[in-house]
Amino acid sequence: METRKEKNIFTEGPVEAAFIANSIAKHATNTSIGGHSIFLGQVRADMIGDKQVQAIEYTSHVEMALDAMAKIREDIFAKYELTCMHVHHSLGVIKAGEICLFVFTSSKHRKAAIDACSECVERIKAELPVWGKEILEGEGYQWKINH
Amino acid sequence: MIEVMFFGQLTDGTGVSSVMIEEVANTDMLINLMKQHYPFLESSTYMVALNNTMVTENTIIRPGSKVAFMPPFSGG
Repeated sequence: METRKEKNIFTEGPVEAAFIANSIAKHATNTSIGGHSIFLGQVRADMIGDKQVQAIEYTSHVEMALDAMAKIREDIFAKYELTCMHVHHSLGVIKAGEICLFVFTSSKHRKAAIDACSECVERIKAELPVWGKEILEGEGYQWKINH
Repeated sequence: MIEVMFFGQLTDGTGVSSVMIEEVANTDMLINLMKQHYPFLESSTYMVALNNTMVTENTIIRPGSKVAFMPPFSGG
């Protein structure tokens, strides 16, 4: 069972595919789980005018973000019958094509995992004090806006 | 002293991520003081947190507090 204490969700740099695979593998021992849901956020090479986004540099008010995440976690565990939930968000420069957010929920039956994962991602984007600076090719940048 | 921190695009205008200032009685006074220092804040969108709690009304600031000016979030 997941503990509800405040966890550090932030890692410097991208979330590596091997880390995600390993995270999935670790759940093999918990045979009460019947479904996992995974969201992976990937940095998109948007065109801003005539310049392409090369990377996003993420910064955060970490203390507040961890408080906000603890609240989200508490709410989601109260609302859905989850076995566990894991969240990893990148900080620093994440190149286009790399993974910057990994949300992983598991439950006995699929619906709780799917719904909890979706709600968690929406709340992370809305409630965590994190900012993305889109670094453009050549020079320049623009601040990311969440839709 | 009070630590005032700026995040995201606000740092474009302030040029720094934090400043230490002398005691200010409350958050309204602090916000006005920061607007005098950094006039761009007049036309910026931001939220203010005092010691990691969002400020929704004028609040007394104790010495040693941390105040954060935060633009709309754009994580994930």
